[in-house]
Amino acid sequence: MPRDTTIQKVLLIGSGPIVIGQAAEFDYAGAQACRALREEGISVVLINSNPATIMTDTEMADRVYIEPLNVEFAERVIARERPDGLLPTLGGQTGLNLATQLSDAGILEKYNVRLLGTPLSAIRQAEDREAFRELMRQIGEPVPESWIVTEEWQLEEPAGAGIWPLIVRPAYTLGGTGGGVAHNPDELYEIARKGLALSMRHQVMVERYLVGWKEIEYEVMRDANDTAITVCNMENLDPMGVHTGDSIVVAPSQTLSDKEYQMLRTASLKIIRALGIEGGCNVQLALDPHSFAYYVIEVNPRVSRSSALASKATGYPIARVSAKIATGLHLDEIENAVTRKTLACFEPALDYCVVKIPRWPFDKFVLADRRISTQMKATGEVMAIDRSFEAALMKAIRSLEVGVYGLSNKTVPQMSDIQLEEAIRVPNDERLWAIAEGFRRGMMLEEIHALSNIDPWFLRKLQHLVSLETRLKLNGKAIARMAARLLQDTRESATPATENTGTEHHLIARLLREAKQAGFSDRTIAEFAEVPELQIRALRKRLEIVPIYKMVDTCAAEFEAATPYYYSCYDREDE
Amino acid sequence: MREGNVKKKILVIGSGPIRIGQGIEFDYCSVHCVWALREAGYEALIINNNPETVSTDFDTSDRLYFDPLTLEDVLNVIDREQPEGVIVQFGGQTAINLARPLHEAGVRIIGSSNESIDLAEDRDRFEKVLRELGIPKPAGRGVVSMEAAEQVAEEIGYPVLVRPSYVLGGRAMEIVYSREELQRYMEYAVDVSPRAPILIDKYILGKEVEVDVICDGRECLLPGIMEHIERAGVHSGDSMAVYPPQSLSPHLIEQIVHSATRLALRLEVRGLLNIQFVVDSQTDTALVLEANPRASRTVPYLSKITGVPMVKIATHIMLGRTLQEQGYRGGLYPDSPSIAVKAPVFSFLKLHRVDINLGPEMKSTGEIMGVDTDYPRALYKAMVASGIDVPTEGSLVATIADPDKPEALPIIQGFAELGFRVFATEGTARFLQEHGIPAQAVKKLHEGEDNIEHLIRSGQISLLLNTLSTNKRIEREAARIRRASVEAGVPCLTSLDTARALLLALSARARGEPFALATVDEYLHAPGSLKGSALHG
Repeated sequence: MPRDTTIQKVLLIGSGPIVIGQAAEFDYAGAQACRALREEGISVVLINSNPATIMTDTEMADRVYIEPLNVEFAERVIARERPDGLLPTLGGQTGLNLATQLSDAGILEKYNVRLLGTPLSAIRQAEDREAFRELMRQIGEPVPESWIVTEEWQLEEPAGAGIWPLIVRPAYTLGGTGGGVAHNPDELYEIARKGLALSMRHQVMVERYLVGWKEIEYEVMRDANDTAITVCNMENLDPMGVHTGDSIVVAPSQTLSDKEYQMLRTASLKIIRALGIEGGCNVQLALDPHSFAYYVIEVNPRVSRSSALASKATGYPIARVSAKIATGLHLDEIENAVTRKTLACFEPALDYCVVKIPRWPFDKFVLADRRISTQMKATGEVMAIDRSFEAALMKAIRSLEVGVYGLSNKTVPQMSDIQLEEAIRVPNDERLWAIAEGFRRGMMLEEIHALSNIDPWFLRKLQHLVSLETRLKLNGKAIARMAARLLQDTRESATPATENTGTEHHLIARLLREAKQAGFSDRTIAEFAEVPELQIRALRKRLEIVPIYKMVDTCAAEFEAATPYYYSCYDREDE
Repeated sequence: MREGNVKKKILVIGSGPIRIGQGIEFDYCSVHCVWALREAGYEALIINNNPETVSTDFDTSDRLYFDPLTLEDVLNVIDREQPEGVIVQFGGQTAINLARPLHEAGVRIIGSSNESIDLAEDRDRFEKVLRELGIPKPAGRGVVSMEAAEQVAEEIGYPVLVRPSYVLGGRAMEIVYSREELQRYMEYAVDVSPRAPILIDKYILGKEVEVDVICDGRECLLPGIMEHIERAGVHSGDSMAVYPPQSLSPHLIEQIVHSATRLALRLEVRGLLNIQFVVDSQTDTALVLEANPRASRTVPYLSKITGVPMVKIATHIMLGRTLQEQGYRGGLYPDSPSIAVKAPVFSFLKLHRVDINLGPEMKSTGEIMGVDTDYPRALYKAMVASGIDVPTEGSLVATIADPDKPEALPIIQGFAELGFRVFATEGTARFLQEHGIPAQAVKKLHEGEDNIEHLIRSGQISLLLNTLSTNKRIEREAARIRRASVEAGVPCLTSLDTARALLLALSARARGEPFALATVDEYLHAPGSLKGSALHG
């Protein structure tokens, strides 16, 4: 269907200031939406209180209002600008809540403003737990046992149900504010009371806490013609119980069998269709590692932090396509802006691995509680792309800028065995390094799995990295010797003269290549060899161990990309 | 590789993950730099690792490298692309920290040179420059031992501001009031070594002022001066600030422009320089606190309210054009007809066990801006937008430290006159009553049931005023009260300056004066008076 030409002017609501749970992703989404709408000849009116955003540039929107994001000022913008439509799903929870308030107050009706994209009824059905569960029951999708609580006395039932631990999630809050895991009635009452106070709807959900289940997300898109696709799926390295914004996330999923992948994909598509979403949406699922049982956890009926990650991980611009869908276009009418040859109805294909690690503010708040759970604490995140999970993880670690460039940080080696076990068992910002330290101290993989519930696949990869680290340490002196020999005499050929040095040469060259392929930084290798970092760099170049660059093109190199976006890797073929 | 090779290439270093002290503003700057490069006919490359940003959108730059921002990974991209040079001024401290190692590896830094950056960042060298130019700074110097620290502090007199020499967003910075506190700081807060001295400066309780200078080597343009609302001691990222300044004398403004210009020229800045001053009100002089040889967090905010495209101008300067060639000239840019207030936004609700009092360590995660035709109304918008959404009447609780009581009196009186019911802890209540303000005493935490915490959690309170005490026991209780306010969603102000500003804002609201509503452009170009125009319709 061609775009709806009755839409001439659209109001976009931004997400306001950066807070934990709402970072730069909505500037990215909003800026894309502005461009996507203007390409269709639509005039864009924008309101956001945060001046440090690209979307509030006069180059991005036709009319930019830097005013408070509340009903009073939004109504005045509407009265003055008289937009035909309001696109509510691109400004995070803040934008969505404001759009809901404007609708509830009758302001949209009064000024004849249409809500574009996903209908408000669908948003409500996705966000209101009871309505959502009812819908899931109707379409036969499993949801965990749970209770909706609006008054404190209603806690009696879950407190007496004998299902511990229980998780408390407030409705309509940012990044799960006010949620938590309760192990006994006292904790349940305490967490639920706080949650009730914070929920815009004075409503919390108490439900079965799925300890040790895998947490999987699907980013799905649907248009008004009921065409639906999955953009990508993502797997949380941290099992259920950690907010996805605080989890290490991998895309695509790494530990699912094809049957599991298809089962969850089918469920996600069924859900987006049942809700009637028009645009992008995020579906979170919990999967039992020991059976094919799964539960639908929640649906985010809008562009989100996860969709920004999925867009960057695949090259598929979810916000842009969502905005196009809101103008009436169908997926098979929207061009894929990366290839400019394919259409937005093609599902992206990935021939690499993406790892996201959250960035926590504990370097600033040294006294803060460093444990992580269902309430998000990270202020931002980093992402890395490489051919393997190991290499992407190592790159992501050194992107964090927390003074850590590899598998060990300053604190974990100081921990006693008991402290270390605790740091592996209870999710916290240092768990990754604690696990590496556990392997270093000879802990068994099964032991670490039993403590952390992290899938053995990920643990094996970490174990492999630790064993490679050990080999690098053992060969540190040999690496230094080789660097000294090769770099001293630049005329000397890279192939050694004597047989002895020859064997060592080949072994070290192989080890270095292996280490670089696994993502070890020059800096880490230099520490083990006790030489300056740039010597390792020079040595590598001498040995022709240099990175090549691969392209992120949404289609696993099937079509040529028009907008080059690269990542480095120590593979063979440069693109 | 694709066509590319015809155009000259430049690599822009991004700012990495969003964290406290380095937020979205540097992504804004990086994107604008890329746009300016492309406009100038260059091929703009960007390297960054943050998936949440516009800079890592696939069509922002000519080529995007999604890789870590370490020396190794940046050099790898440089090896492959062989760009003309690298721009490090817009990616916050992440990018600027790469200037030296990149320079040493033979990479050309475009804009201010590595030498210029080092001169601004190395405290010793920077102080020498200030002395040479005769620009005043607070008394103090770097020390490497406890004995020297005590000696310097005695010499300049307490309170002193202590911090490590290489500062990242005010990290581990403290205001120290006594020898005992200094000893504790030196022992626990930091690792002191001859390579990492501790700086001890006289703490001046004055107004802070901040400027961003655009310098082409010959002239310096100052798009605007920002005056902080909270006095020195609160990190600049956590302070509210107003543009144009509301209480600086013309003499002082002239002095600030003069010092900033001379400093930027002496540092041979090509592009941006951010300078922070503190005003010594006794002598009406502006003392330099620090200078950052890069785009600062205030650049997007100032660009929008002054209409001066700061990043674009700075980028063109780096490419060799002058201010004049771009249609600008040196000196302070004329004030905009509107007033803009920047306010910080915090995420305390998400962070347990974090005290919310403001100090030299930055705690905010984001910021917003309120714009209007006068100061009180701009303040009101900023307050509301930052979440200090206080009605014009209701109840407030005050718990004020003894030294602050006289200053707090007219502020609390103002709230009472607006129609606020005043609750206060015993000492504060007695003081207020003695001065004719009807205040109702509430119990402190240790005084049992129905205490101040219960009152705050009861939902009847719309504001908490709490100034910090030096008494440890009182402070422990106060920290709990402040946490209670966060959890109950009650705005809490720990600075009387913020409280005074809120009172001013609420008074404007209570008078029922209409607020302006205008686009960013209209605020810039509106004819003389926006008041009473259609903008208020």
